[in-house]
Amino acid sequence: MIPLTMRLGIKKKTGKNFYLWLPLFLIWLIFIPIFILLSPLVLLIALILWPTGKGKIILYFFPVFFRLIWCMSGLNVDIQTKSGTFYLNLL
Amino acid sequence: MSEERKKILEMLTEGKINVEEAERLLSTLSEDTGTASDNSGKTPRYLRIMIEPGPESKNQDRVNVRVPLKLIRAGLKLASFIPKDAQGKVNEALHEKGIEADFTNIKPENLDELVGQLNDLTVNIESKETVRVFCE
Repeated sequence: MIPLTMRLGIKKKTGKNFYLWLPLFLIWLIFIPIFILLSPLVLLIALILWPTGKGKIILYFFPVFFRLIWCMSGLNVDIQTKSGTFYLNLL
Repeated sequence: MSEERKKILEMLTEGKINVEEAERLLSTLSEDTGTASDNSGKTPRYLRIMIEPGPESKNQDRVNVRVPLKLIRAGLKLASFIPKDAQGKVNEALHEKGIEADFTNIKPENLDELVGQLNDLTVNIESKETVRVFCE
């Protein structure tokens, strides 16, 4: 499932703390129509660059890239050190 | 009650087997079903890496990482788009760290098998820090 929210936090024992809660579902709502609109252009570029061999890479890169984003849901990183704490959580 | 268990009890009431034999058969049956339920457990979805300080450790750093196995699959597929000269540099850097691995040789058809084998992976290292790597 595509990640819908992201929590990012950097907590320092000395200095400023940084917390971010990002509603990714709103970002997808903006980006997905843009990608759909740009996809014919990408296809055209891929066709133009096909003889050089780069067209194939461009064409295959996007599905794999979207799959990578799609699979990020559930990623959790939590690091606690002497100097502070870092966490990243994608739900 | 399962069919096998019923049959064993019926054989006992009919006098075909004695109590000891019935007990032995029932225990064997429960072991078999226990093993089967272990194997049919949920397919692991995440690779978990945990580093915790041991009692003698001065370093109190803790690491808790949970990576979806699907993300590893997708990441390895994306890695195939890295130019060959860059992959060479990655291999050189790994070689310097003492890791002899050539990721350019991993074919897409072998990826599923590779990640599938991670399901059985369990690493426990207990020194100053406790390192655990497992799938859940």
